[in-house]
This record gives sequence, structure tokens and C-alpha cells, in this order.
Amino acid sequence: MLELVGIGRRYRVDGGEVRALADIDLVLPKGSFTALVGRSGCGKTTLLRILAGLESPSEGEIRRPAQAGPLRIGVVFQEARLMPWLDVRGNVGFGLHGRLPRHETAARCTAALDLVGLSAFAGAMPGQLSGGMAQRVAIARALVLEPEVLLLDEPFAALDAFTRRAMQNELVGIWQRRKPTVVFVTHDVEEAVLLGERVLEMQAGRIVGRENIELPYPRDPTAPEANRYRRTILARLMADPAAARPEPAALS
Amino acid sequence: MLRPITIAVFAAVIGLWWLAGHLGWVSAFLLPAPATVADTMGDLIASGELARHSLVSLRRVSLGYAFAITLAVPLALLFVLSRPLRATFEPLLEFLRQIPPLALMPLLMLWLGIGETQKIGIIVLSCFFPIFLGVRGGFAAVDRKLIDVGTVCGFARPEIMLRIVLPSALPAIVVGLRIGLGYSWRALVGAELIASSAGLGYMIVDAENLARTDIVLAGILVIGALGLAADLLLRLAIRTLAPWLAGDLEMARA
Ligand SMILES: Nc1ncnc2c1ncn2[C@@H]1O[C@H](COP(=O)(O)OP(=O)(O)OP(=O)(O)O)[C@@H](O)[C@H]1O
Ligand SMILES: [Mg+2]
Repeated sequence: MLELVGIGRRYRVDGGEVRALADIDLVLPKGSFTALVGRSGCGKTTLLRILAGLESPSEGEIRRPAQAGPLRIGVVFQEARLMPWLDVRGNVGFGLHGRLPRHETAARCTAALDLVGLSAFAGAMPGQLSGGMAQRVAIARALVLEPEVLLLDEPFAALDAFTRRAMQNELVGIWQRRKPTVVFVTHDVEEAVLLGERVLEMQAGRIVGRENIELPYPRDPTAPEANRYRRTILARLMADPAAARPEPAALS
Repeated sequence: MLRPITIAVFAAVIGLWWLAGHLGWVSAFLLPAPATVADTMGDLIASGELARHSLVSLRRVSLGYAFAITLAVPLALLFVLSRPLRATFEPLLEFLRQIPPLALMPLLMLWLGIGETQKIGIIVLSCFFPIFLGVRGGFAAVDRKLIDVGTVCGFARPEIMLRIVLPSALPAIVVGLRIGLGYSWRALVGAELIASSAGLGYMIVDAENLARTDIVLAGILVIGALGLAADLLLRLAIRTLAPWLAGDLEMARA
């Protein structure tokens, strides 16, 4: 379980101050699947970076259960972020290198490449991949770590509709099998409803709404129940007065 | 690597050169015919003179270049790691960078004589900055986003340095090394022209004093060929050691 208590994050920008996050109270139960929706600039990536330990909050704290080793966290960033000097296989195994016996790393990479449908490109260099392919490599790179916490930042935004659906199903499958704690950032409400056990709505750095999606997996995004959730969430996000204003809450 | 078009271009230039003499556009003294130069080259090779001068020059460049690398790389790394050091010495280095090494020749000759030390000094001066700036620039331009990837994998600082920062910095470093090599070769020959008793540059001035333009031309051709060979060697080494850098190398045509 991960618990965020009163998390806030401010950035100094151009003499002034931007409040990227404010008063975030959030419990992520072990093995849960949380989808985070909100418009561009509302602080989704910032929240994910704080969860990943890449950024420290300006206020508040993150509570983790005491455990033996460090938490294994897998992150899929908004961009692929592949190492241009490594081939696809090298990139997928990047985080395992030197930590596992060679044959085990190789086996995991092969399985992950198979999962994202890139077995034929194991020897390709990042420069030779399309945007969607590169993003799938990045997903495989996070999955081979067998993370306890999996953080994904709009991971499927660069994929075509068909690959996207296939990857969404795969993600649900992996989650059901291995039960990592998943936080999935998206600005697509349909995707959030399709994937999340619950959907958190963000606006201007705050969590402004929560919806538990009581639908069995695998879900059908076109089912009337799914549509109902979608409509409720969208209506709330659009009705919020802050939605009329595209910028995040800026303080001076 | 040696494409037909390349051969054709070189052949055309030699043809033009031959034609210029053959049709009497220029006197055979000012521009000796290709055949004459080839003959002279043969003589120089047979007498061992060409090999002797070439070896002297190559030895100087190798020593100077190696010395410059051992000086520039650690210094650049210090600069990368220490902001106060940067702030303190950056302006001084920027000032020194503006001075062409050959302009320092008179002083160097006074301080170091005209022996090997002075030649190597010139080489170090001429290729220090490209190498230094290559290393610095390479490290400065490392993408923070790639470092994040290592951080979330739980890498400690040394591992991030070795597996992300260093490979990211390598293209710029390699470019600096390549530019530095070209600079050092040209500066050396220049230094040998001014004051020396051996080396390819000396061979050329000596021939000029004897009015032997054929030797001058032969020397020039050898200088070009050796520089090209050194560059090819460096590129070959990089192509085999770090094939993904092959593209970046083309920026280094300076
Ligand atoms: N390093 C930073 N320095 C300054 N401001 C930042 C920084 N990172 C984020 N911000 C600001 O914080 C706010 C939230 O940014 P964030 O990247 O979290 O948005 P987002 O919800 O992920 O948006 P998108 O959907 O476009 O990715 C923005 O106003 C942004 O300008
Ligand atoms: Mg974002």
C-alpha cells in the first residue's frame, strides 16, 4: 500500500510560482488499478513523478509499508525514452542488466518482446522504430522488472487504435496475473473507464472526483454501463468552473 | 568506402593537373607534371627520406595528441563535475581559446627551443580545445529524461554515470577527438615549416630553398594522404567500437 498525505508541489516559473499539485490525499491499496484523468497541465505527470521518487513534494509525505528491499517500481514515461545506443533487446533489459543471471534476463526480455509484439525487432536500433513501436519497447522495459508498482503516463497515446486495444487488454491481463499496484494516467475518459478499478479526476493540481468502476474485466468500452460512467465523469470534469480556464492554478 | 565516383574525381584532378603542364598553361617549375612528382616520390621512398620525415612527423603527432587527450579529458571532467571551477576558469579558457596556436610559436620557441618539446607543445595547444570542449559539451548535453529512466530502475550514481551519462556524451567526445586530430596534424606541419630540422614540413621548406617544387608537391600529397589515413583509422576504430556513433561522426568535418 502507498499513501499520499497532503502532497503539494510548487514550481518556480518565470519569477512567479506554479502550483502543479495541491492537497493530494490518496491511498493506493496493494494490487489496485487506479486511473487518473484530467486535462493537459493538470498535474498528472507531476503526481506520477512524485510516486516514482523522481520528484520530491513541496509539502506532504508519502507513506510506504516497511519492507525488506526497496519497492520495485516500473515506469512508462509519456515519451519512450529509449537509449539510442542500445538495440531493442538491450533497452528492454536495461533495468535488469547485472541484477539477474544472464539467461534469466534473456528469457524475460524474450517474453516481454513477445508480449508487445516486437520479437522480430529485437535487434533493431531505436532510430529505426516508429513512435508506437518505441513506446511498446518502453512498456516492455517496465514489465520485465516485474514491478510491484507500475506507473504509466499516457502509455498508449502514440499507438494506433488496434494496437492500443490489444495493449489495453494485455495490461489488464498482466495486472490480473501479477497484481502490481497500477497507476495509469490518461486524458481519455473512455480508456480510464475501460481499465481502472477506480477513476480519479484531476483538475488544476487537485483530485476533484472519484468514481469506482463496478464492472467485471474484461470490459467492453461500448457497453451501456461503461458509457454511463463515462458520461458521469465527463460531465463532472466539464462542469467544474476550473475547466473553463485552460491554465493550471497559477499563484503569484 | 572507395566508390567509383571518388576515384573518378581524383583522376579528373590529376588529369587537369597534367593538362595544365602539357598545354603550357603553367611552367613546369611552378607546377611540375604528375609524372615528375611521381618519379620524385619514388626517389624519396627509395632513399628512405620520405619514411624518415613521415615517421618524425607521425611520432610528434601521436605523442602530442596522446598528451593532449590525457590533459583535456580529465580537465573537462573536473569542469563537468565542479560548478565553482567552471565559474572561475571559464573566462580564462575562453580567452585562451581565441589565440591560434601558431601565434604562440615565437614564444614557444623562446621557451622550449625548436626541438621536440616545442613541436609537441604546438600540437597540444592546437587540439586541446576541440577535445576539451567535446568532452564538456557531451556531458552537458546529456538528456535528463534518460537519467530518470536509470533513477527509477534504482541505479546508484556510478551506474547512471557509466550506463547513461557516458554513452550519451560519447558522440560529442568522439567528434571532439576527430576535430582535434585534424587540427593537430595541420598545426604540426605548420610548426615544422617555421622551425625544424626534420619532419614533412621541414622537408617541404628545405625543398623550397633548393627550388625543388617537385619535392614540395610530393610532400604536400603525403601530408594530405597521411592526414586522411589517420582520420580513416579513427573512424574505423569508432565504427567498430561504437557503431551507433557512425552518423554523429559526419558532423566533425572541420
Ligand atoms: N519541471 C517543471 N518546472 C516548472 N513547471 C513544471 C515542471 N513540471 C511541471 N510543471 C508545471 O506543472 C503543471 C503540471 O504539469 P504536468 O506535467 O504534471 O501536467 P500533465 O497533467 O501531465 O499534462 P499533460 O497531459 O499535458 O501531460 C504545468 O503547469 C507545468 O507547467
Ligand atoms: Mg503529462
